[in-house]
Order: sequence, then structure tokens, then C-alpha cells
Amino acid sequence: MATARTLHVRCATWEQVDTFITRKLRKGRLLSMKVPFVAKVGSAVTLGLELPNEMVIAVDGSIQRASPVEGDPQRMWIEIDLTGLTEEVLARIKRLAAGTDDDIGTDPQIQPIAPARKSSVMNAVGEDLPDDERALFQHLSGELRRIRSAAVHEVLGVGRDASPEQLRVGWKALVRRNHPDLVSRRNSPAITHLAEELTILCNRAYDRLRAAMTGEGQGIRAGSMIAKPPGWLVGFEDIQSGDTTPAPRTSPRKFERPPTPTPAAPPPAAKAAAPAAAQGAEAFEQRARTQLKTGDANAAREVLAAALVIYPRSKPLRSLYYVATALAALQDGEVVLATSQLETALAHHDQCIEASKLLEHVRRHGATNTDQLKRVFQ
Amino acid sequence: MTKAGRAVGIDLGTTNSVVAVIDRDGAPRILTTDEGSTTLPSLVWFSPKGPVVGEAAREGLDHSPDLTIFGAKRLMGRRFDHPEIKKLARILPYELTEAPNGDTWIQLAAGRAISPEEVSALILRQLRRTAERFLKEPVTRAVITIPAWYDAAQRQATKDAAQIAGLQVIRLLSEPTAAALGHGAHRGADRRYLVCDLGGGTFDVAAVDVESGVFEVLATTGDPFLGGDDVDRAVVEHLVRDVRQTRGIDVSTDAFAIEKLRLGAQRAKHELSDHATASVTVPALAELPSGKAVDYARPMRRDELELWASPLVKRLEPPVKEALRRCGRKREDIEEVLLVGGSTRMPAVKKELARITGREPSVIPNPEEVVAVGAALEVARLDGTIEGVLLIDVTARGLSMSVQQGECEMVIGQSAVVPTREHRLLATRSDEQARLEFDLFEGESPDPSQNRHLGRYAVVDLPPAPAGDVLCLVEVTIDTDGVVRLGATEMVSGERLTLEQVFHAGLSRAEVTRLARALEAA
Repeated sequence: MATARTLHVRCATWEQVDTFITRKLRKGRLLSMKVPFVAKVGSAVTLGLELPNEMVIAVDGSIQRASPVEGDPQRMWIEIDLTGLTEEVLARIKRLAAGTDDDIGTDPQIQPIAPARKSSVMNAVGEDLPDDERALFQHLSGELRRIRSAAVHEVLGVGRDASPEQLRVGWKALVRRNHPDLVSRRNSPAITHLAEELTILCNRAYDRLRAAMTGEGQGIRAGSMIAKPPGWLVGFEDIQSGDTTPAPRTSPRKFERPPTPTPAAPPPAAKAAAPAAAQGAEAFEQRARTQLKTGDANAAREVLAAALVIYPRSKPLRSLYYVATALAALQDGEVVLATSQLETALAHHDQCIEASKLLEHVRRHGATNTDQLKRVFQ
Repeated sequence: MTKAGRAVGIDLGTTNSVVAVIDRDGAPRILTTDEGSTTLPSLVWFSPKGPVVGEAAREGLDHSPDLTIFGAKRLMGRRFDHPEIKKLARILPYELTEAPNGDTWIQLAAGRAISPEEVSALILRQLRRTAERFLKEPVTRAVITIPAWYDAAQRQATKDAAQIAGLQVIRLLSEPTAAALGHGAHRGADRRYLVCDLGGGTFDVAAVDVESGVFEVLATTGDPFLGGDDVDRAVVEHLVRDVRQTRGIDVSTDAFAIEKLRLGAQRAKHELSDHATASVTVPALAELPSGKAVDYARPMRRDELELWASPLVKRLEPPVKEALRRCGRKREDIEEVLLVGGSTRMPAVKKELARITGREPSVIPNPEEVVAVGAALEVARLDGTIEGVLLIDVTARGLSMSVQQGECEMVIGQSAVVPTREHRLLATRSDEQARLEFDLFEGESPDPSQNRHLGRYAVVDLPPAPAGDVLCLVEVTIDTDGVVRLGATEMVSGERLTLEQVFHAGLSRAEVTRLARALEAA
């Protein structure tokens, strides 16, 4: 159980989800597939089923049978028993497919920075690519997903205290690998598109780090000087907060994990990305709290809204966003709006202390005694 | 990307244009025009029999300077109310007019105005024909070089011109980078270059680092209205004064005479690059009231030319200094200075640039052609014939956004590596707001009037909700060509939103398609 592999299955359309459930699975939970590694019978695997709304559902299972693919010792046919695919999970997927899942209402999926020319290319991919390109495609899209949730220095693969020169070397290595110019001549438009997205993220991370360094008076040798545009809070808080931030209360989860009969180890990919991402989200939280303390609800809201783009699934951030909205409403004397916002906050994250305290205050005092509000955030 | 048809490299210049291809043996080759010249004058004469392009259009300069368009590149993607355009409008022999969207167009006759894009398209088509005749197969794609300081509107205008001429632009390549590539920097040792490109109408400076095949542009600056044409004009001004003093005639309002003087001045200028003296001869410059033709001839010395050109030569320094400042370099850090463009043949320009950079510039044997060679090499690079070379460019100017006509806020800074993307969050400001407008500018000033307006866009069909509840994530992407793309997402649902173009600089898509079809049929 120590090294549970994660197998990714991507369904670009709800039809594909339906096909997956009704046709690919035997006896409702047996799945046969070819894998690019040597699998052992009995070992545990996690199936990451990605739905068209970009939600990933983790389903646990174990390998029942494994046989090598003829002529290719590195690949195997395996049969997985998806123990984690319970009736509830299936029903949930079906509800999502039908668009009736209440999750869509209460826990909306905010997309991370979505590509500008979205998915007309991406969705077309999957079945019709040649084999070698498909592997590349999967590699690149995996890389893209990882980078989207990573902090800026992680994108470039350098340490937090990297020197300008290290930064440049890291960035250059990435660009040399992923630049669309180098990829496009041999590959399909879909792959070029992925390469461009990757390059955009690398360039942006590089520019942000350079801007931060220029701000600190260094970075001159890191390339050109660059001014820091206002509103670049994204992805920087984690640098400035350093390592002194306490452990996150709730670590944002990369996988949405429905209740499973057997407790399983978290997928390795999530393990790697979670701590850093949490730190970033935590930094946003702290910043917003400071602003709330001073009563600057609108500024806090801006910060949180921006933070939610990066950490769309962080419940503390989301609830805090509603708290900030409520505070702004209270300052305008809108009690009803404030109450509903606070209730929403609690619905997202029932341990949000600020929301419950503030709600109590509103119920007792209404829109009066707003000067006492500040105490709530102490 | 369609692979049908060959691709060529094109240097679309202010005064001269060049087309180059890579031969089967990998060597770059400049294609010659019908007249046997390697450069095609960027000149279009709208003669009674139809447009005439290149050397043959010089005839038009004599007959009808008001219908012979030179330097259209300077007008492309420019607003009519730009101060430099206003200045140009006073001195050009042809008439400029304002297009409905504020762009600069050329008035050919009453009721017939033409966009600079169409003029450039005619030049591009001529180059395309030259290439097709040489290659004996259709040419459908091109790498076109542009000044590094071109803004997004000018880049788009260049792409539009190519599309009208039936060419798909596979890359817009900045001229200094093309020059470094054409110079063969990717084959040489790693070096820190400073490329100075003084052409007919534009001055470009770029700091380029070349490191194991990777060209990294660190900063680009330039002066969009400085070039050899300006030197010609300065000389003409002095000649007009001289004509008044020595012949007693005022030719300053005579477009024909001015054009003749300009040609004479240009010839003398070229001669003075190699000789200390030259002579300006203009037969039949003007007519006396009696009907008698007046000839004009005078000797010109190099020091006279240098004196007249000195205010222009002085303008070379600020862009060079700014480029060095932007990349945090001292001039001692530069390892090689490349001079590109025909105007760098002027000894005064060479001397001044040597003084500013503190280093003797490298001599390129063919400063007029090296950019086109770079463009052809870029074609080979993108097609994969040249391996291991990568060009990394930066934005010359920042990009700003203003919401509901408010102050501009910078979105992407200058010297950001392209392709890049930034986003802004826009919230609705009133209940049930269904539409959110914003403006995009090039430039970093908070004052919108200081920046170049690229267009006004609207996010439409927003879901009905109280004020501030709908958050739009607007993403601004600058692609490898330096062209801006936009996208919008609703934050809460994550749904893509529709963006509407309210106002946009340049030609509309429909117009471009229509013009392309018309030119194809012509």
C-alpha cells in the first residue's frame, strides 16, 4: 500500500463518462487497461477520474490480474477491481452528469487560470492522436495541471531563496523544453497549444520573480528590469510570508475524495503539491484577516477574490470571502444581505469562526454597534 | 498550420523591401526583382492604369506625387491625431485623411481613400510574385519583420496587410532580432549584442544576448519617427531655402518641385557616404512666370550634410541609453554592436553610435539585406530545418486597462517575456448589470490619453445578480507575435463569457477578407 499509483482517466464529455461507466466497466467495477509500468497483482491503485467540469474523483482499487503486453516488457494489461466505486459515488457521478448535483451550487468549481482559447483543441484530443503524441500530450497536460497549482518558484523548479542567476537558468531550461516553436514543427496543434500554455506560465512566473527581485534592489543580472504592475498579489505571498506560517488548518485537496469503504493513502501527486499551495492560501487568508480587522472589507474582498483564482477549492478562503462581503454589507446597513452572506460562509466552511461570531453579532445588534465588529476579528 | 505552399522571409521596409528564401543547400538567398535589384522600393503609384509597385512606380514620383505613396509603413496602425502623423501630413506630397475609427488613411482622390494596410499589401504581393517566379511554386506563408517598438495595433495592421496579399504570417519577427539572426549570431560564440537598426523611417535598438543558440531579447526601444527619410527632408528644407536665395523662387508649396529635390537630395546623400563632396542636380525644377524652366544644381559637402542632419543624429542617443537602462547594463557590458539598415552607412551615424556605445561597431557587408536573411532563417527555424535555435522576445511597451473610462491600470509591464498572460478581476458595479465595458491601451501611463488606445471591449450576457456579485476574470494574452488576445471567465461558475468588440483600431476582419478577395481577383 506504500506506493499506490494513480492512474488518470480523462473524460472530456459527459458522454464519455457515461460510456466509461456503462461499457468499460465489467460487473460494475472491473476495469481493464494497458499501463506503461510493470504492475504487481494485489497492489493498490487509485483511479483519478477527471470529469468534464475538471473535477477529479479519486476511486480506490486494487490490481486483480496483470499480464505483459506482447513485445513490450514495459507495458502491461491489468484488471483493476475498483473497490472505491460504491453506489454513492456512482450516483454522485450520475447526478453531476445530469447537472442536478447540489455541489455545483454550493461548491462551485472556480477554474484556475483557464487558457484563452479554451478546449476546442483540448477536447478534440484523446482518441485521435497517434500513440507517441498521446503520451506527450498526457505528459504536457499533467505538467500544466501541476504548474497551475504551484507557487512561482516551484514553476521554475528553484528554491525560495534562489539567486537571480539560478532563476534565469531554471527558466531558460524550461523554455528550451517547452517553447511552442520547438514543439510545433513535429506535433499537432493540440500539443503546440499545451506547449504555449506551459511557456506562458513559465514566463509569467519568471517575470513575477524578477519583478519581486527588482523591487528588492537585486535581479539586475537576471535579465531585463521589469516594473511590477499593481495587483500582482498572486503567488507572491508565499515568498514574503516565509516559513514561519503555522501549519494550515485544512490543507486544500487536490482530489475531491468521496467517502470510501477503505481508508487509502493520499495520492502521491497531491502530497507534493499540497504544503506549498496551502502556505500560499494561508498567506492570503492572513492578509485578508488583517484587512478585515481594520474594517477594510472591500480590500479584503479583492484579495480573497484574487486568491480564489489560485486556490479555488480552499474552503477557508471561500468562507472568508463571504464574510468580507457581509462586513461590507453591514457597513452599508444591509442586514438582510449580510445575514445571507454569513450563512453562505458557514455553509461552505462550518468552522469559520469569524462567520459564526459575526452572525451572532448581527442577530443581536443588527446593523448597529458596528464599531464592536472589529472585536470579532481580533 | 497548413504546410501547403512555400514560405519566405520578408523585410517590409519603410523605403525598401526585401524578400529572401533558404536554398535547398541551406544558404540564404536574396531574390532579385524584375529590374535585377535585390531591394524593391516600397513605393506604390496609383496610375490611371492601376497600381504600379516598386522601381516602375518611381515614374509616378515625377508625374503625380499625390498618387505615389512611399513610407506607408510609418502610417500603418497609427491614429490620425498622433502628433507625428500631423507633422507628416503637412510635409508629405500625398494627402492623409482620418478613417471613421480614427486611423490614418491616404486620400487618393475625392471620395477615394485607401488604408496603409492596402498599400503594404500591394508591396507584399509584388514580393510574393517575385518569390513565386523564382521558386516556381505558390508562396502562401511568410515571416515578416517589423520594428521592435511596433505596438499591438501596428502588428495587427501588418498581419492584415499580409492577409490581404494572400500571405499567412507564420511569425512577426522584430527587425533587430532578425538582424542578429541574419548576421549568424547563432553560429558564433555566446555574446551580448546591441543591435542598432536605422532604416528609412525607423530607428530600433535591441539588447540581445545569444547563449548556445538561444536569442534572448532583453530590452527593445526605438524612435518610430527617425530614419533616412527624415535626413532627406532636412536636406530638402535647406535646399528650398537655397533655391529661394539663389534663384528667387519659392518652391516650398510646389509638391512636384519638392519631390524632385527630395530625389536629388537622396542621391547626393548616398554619394556622400563614400565621398567628401557630391552634387545635387535637378533639371527643370520649376517654371518662371514667363514659362521658362529653371534648372537647379549645387555642390554639397559631407560636412554640410552632417550639419543639417545633426539634430536627427542627436536623437540616436536616448533610445540606446534607455535600452541599456532597461536591461540594467552598462555600455561596457556590451560585447558587440551591430549596425543594420541603410542609414547606418552614413559616416556621421556610425561615428555617433560608436561614441554612444563606446565601441567600434561591427561592419555588416549588407546592412539592407541582413534583416531579410534573418527572416528567411526564421522560416527555416520554424520549419525545423535549423535545430536548436530559440528566439525569446519581450514586450516593448506595457499594456494597461481602464474600466468604465476610469484611470488606466497596468496589466502587463514592459520587458515582459512573451508569450505571456495576465488577468484582471472586474466586478459589476450595479445590480443586474449585464454588460461590463473596458478599454485596452498600450503604454503604462495612468492617464488614458497618454497611451495608445487598442480597443474597447465588453463582457456581455452577465448573469443577473446584485452589484459586485458577478466577478469577471479577464485574461490578456500577448502571443509570440506580440499580438493581444483576450478571454473572459465568470469567476463563480467558471463559465466562459462572451466578449464583444465595441471599438477596435485597424481594419475589421470582414474588411480584411473583402480586400483580400478583391486583390486576388485583380
